[in-house]
Amino acid sequence: MKYHVHFYVNGDAYDLDVPANKTMLDVLRDDLFLTGTKEGCGAGECGACTVIVDDVPLNACLVLAPELDGVHITTVEGLSDGPKLSPLQQSFIKHGALQCGFCTPGFLMSATALLNENPHPTREEIIDSISGNLCRCTGYKRIVEAIEEIAARGQTAETQE
Amino acid sequence: MVLNGGTDVVIQLRDRLINPEYVVDIKRIPGLDELRFSKEEGLHIGACVNMNRLGGDENVRTYYPFLANAALSVGSKQVRNRATCAGNLINASPLADTSTPLLCLEAVLEVEGPDGKREIPINEFFVFVRKTTLQKDEIVTGIRVPYYEGAEGIFTKVSRRNKVDLSTVCSTVMKYAGQYRAAFGSVAPTPRRLPKTEACLNEGPLDDARIDRAVELALSEVSPIDDVRASKQYRLDVVAMALRRGLESLG
Ligand SMILES: Cc1cc2nc3c(=O)[nH]c(=O)nc-3n(C[C@@H](O)[C@@H](O)[C@H](O)COP(=O)(O)OP(=O)(O)OC[C@H]3O[C@@H](n4cnc5c(N)ncnc54)[C@H](O)[C@@H]3O)c2cc1C
Ligand code: FES
Ligand code: FES
Repeated sequence: MKYHVHFYVNGDAYDLDVPANKTMLDVLRDDLFLTGTKEGCGAGECGACTVIVDDVPLNACLVLAPELDGVHITTVEGLSDGPKLSPLQQSFIKHGALQCGFCTPGFLMSATALLNENPHPTREEIIDSISGNLCRCTGYKRIVEAIEEIAARGQTAETQE
Repeated sequence: MVLNGGTDVVIQLRDRLINPEYVVDIKRIPGLDELRFSKEEGLHIGACVNMNRLGGDENVRTYYPFLANAALSVGSKQVRNRATCAGNLINASPLADTSTPLLCLEAVLEVEGPDGKREIPINEFFVFVRKTTLQKDEIVTGIRVPYYEGAEGIFTKVSRRNKVDLSTVCSTVMKYAGQYRAAFGSVAPTPRRLPKTEACLNEGPLDDARIDRAVELALSEVSPIDDVRASKQYRLDVVAMALRRGLESLG
């Protein structure tokens, strides 16, 4: 059985008929081809699938597709304005806060959600907000530093809006 | 099958541990996301209130800080934006982090089914690993927590990793009107209060000898097992440590 859902991703409206046994992550990647959002564990452990849903970070792998109805989602594709990266994305590059990059979209979304809610988080708040994201190659120091730079500037993390 | 925050259900579906004919999402039923407090009526936690909301609520932080700490110890920020307190109890894992504060607080589950409403005191709720006294055709609509003037409590969670990990042992020690209550998780098939330990603590003034005796009783009231997270002996040592430290800091 399929369910009709109407929802928004990065400001664009979508109408789809989705099966109950897919996740939000499957819909984003396989139906909308928004493959910036990654699947690591598929079980809520790694945070690679983090997206912002109605202002809060969620694991897209833990949300069933019929629950998409009526929600507003921001994915990593929504952070940049065309080729212009968000200040947080630029800071990740400047600080070398990525190696393979697989975890990066998830970290960017967790940190963006934090900075939207609280433009000047402390180091402790930063660490807490990314504790649900795993990185297996860079280590966390540079990632924290990249976020701290934006926190110090108090700039909003997103370029859009 | 009822779907709430889905942090247990979606994983059980994915691992094919369950194969329900229907999954019914209750999150948009009006009223189930209510969270309210008054000194007269205590705390009401609607079935769909998630852990971040519970743990961040001003009243919960003020009047039930050890419950707030337990809620914020669950998973990651992303998980806590979905995981509900009701789901945590109903899933009935022995290590459910919100179970021990709610056992000490003698919370009551408000239940509704085809035969109308009923209430289940939390100490009659857990039956075995993943088994509760909730019937298949019933849903929990909320959790009621009495208000205890001047109560203090300590929630302790010991896990392999500092953050985003399941409890190796979790516990709450609470003091109210000079009386102690203690509950432990992950040391028996269900989270549980320790009645003999409490009786000993409440017989007379808290001195070193009484604490020693209470720790000894506590170890006789739990039955931990060896598993991937820790050995039985490690868990027993943590029970002793958590009870001792809890009592010492509550005084
Ligand atoms: C990565 C990760 C980390 C985690 N870490 C922790 C941790 O540190 N500590 C911890 O205790 N738990 C942890 N958990 C599990 C925790 O998220 C769940 O136990 C959660 O609290 C369950 O709530 P839910 O709303 O997600 O329930 P769901 O998954 O929606 O439901 C759980 C069960 O309860 C039933 N149910 C839910 N609500 C109702 C209702 N109102 N009426 C009737 N039945 C209902 C469902 O049918 C199902 O059987 C973790 C989970 C993940 C994925
Ligand atoms: S893929 Fe969702 S948390 Fe790992
Ligand atoms: S950069 Fe490779 S996992 Fe983080």
